[in-house]
Amino acid sequence: MFEELSQHILDIAMNSISANAKKVQISILESRRHDRLVLRVRDDGCGMDAAMLKRVLAQRWSSKNKRRKPVGLGLAFLRQTSEMCGGHFHVRSAPGRGTSVTASMRLSHIDRPPLGDLNTTILALCATDRKMDVQLNYRSDEQRFFFDSQEPAKKGEVNL
Amino acid sequence: MNLEQLKQLKEKAQKQIALREGGKKYRVVVSMGTSGIASGAREVMKTMLDEIEKRGLDDVEVHVTGEHGLEDIEPVVLVEEAGGEKTTYAKLDTEKAKKIVAEHLQKGRKVDNLAVGRQKKTE
Repeated sequence: MFEELSQHILDIAMNSISANAKKVQISILESRRHDRLVLRVRDDGCGMDAAMLKRVLAQRWSSKNKRRKPVGLGLAFLRQTSEMCGGHFHVRSAPGRGTSVTASMRLSHIDRPPLGDLNTTILALCATDRKMDVQLNYRSDEQRFFFDSQEPAKKGEVNL
Repeated sequence: MNLEQLKQLKEKAQKQIALREGGKKYRVVVSMGTSGIASGAREVMKTMLDEIEKRGLDDVEVHVTGEHGLEDIEPVVLVEEAGGEKTTYAKLDTEKAKKIVAEHLQKGRKVDNLAVGRQKKTE
């Protein structure tokens, strides 16, 4: 099990890389007013059909590394965490249409893991071999924050 | 969630994006699958990035990849040298990660007691 929600986010978003996504959008909504925390990871990768979707949600099935030992627990972990914390878990996907994973939980739930080191999660996603655009949209009752890994390159601030 | 920390992220991400442009002497590949993350691969990566920055090593690039198929000995880090020599380090933690940066990436001396498997040379 993961100790931080940001580890879940990294794990789910690594799937987007396997799905050849060009862009992954991570959104986090943290509302004390509504006592809700909602995580969403959405990509424009290859997507999954209904049969595959059913299998990935079962534990111990993975699309990766058939020869070796597939772990296949990523989505199952997140589902367990969100359902344990009074929330819902939902995956939407279709072949060629990308995948969207949404997990909600009660913000004040005693078992809710902390968000943790989100920065390192985003850094890790920026360090993958595939040049994937990583976007982070964080919102709480008081503040908003937006990050886009393509942004620095666009402005010419990084020597590529 | 601290907004200040998120602002620092932009700066760090820019550096990281600049670091993966290739042509460096050492290429460090961190395995970041489900089991890697669960056993601390993310913290190992962060420690290595910080340590590389602290020591001012600019001939190193750090990459992240999915499972290497070595789930039982995660966190796993692969160090590839420009000559094609590859070293796999396993069962790492932040202290061991610092040692690899100090010894292997800075001084060019392999840390034999942390390495696993036989040396591989690729053409």
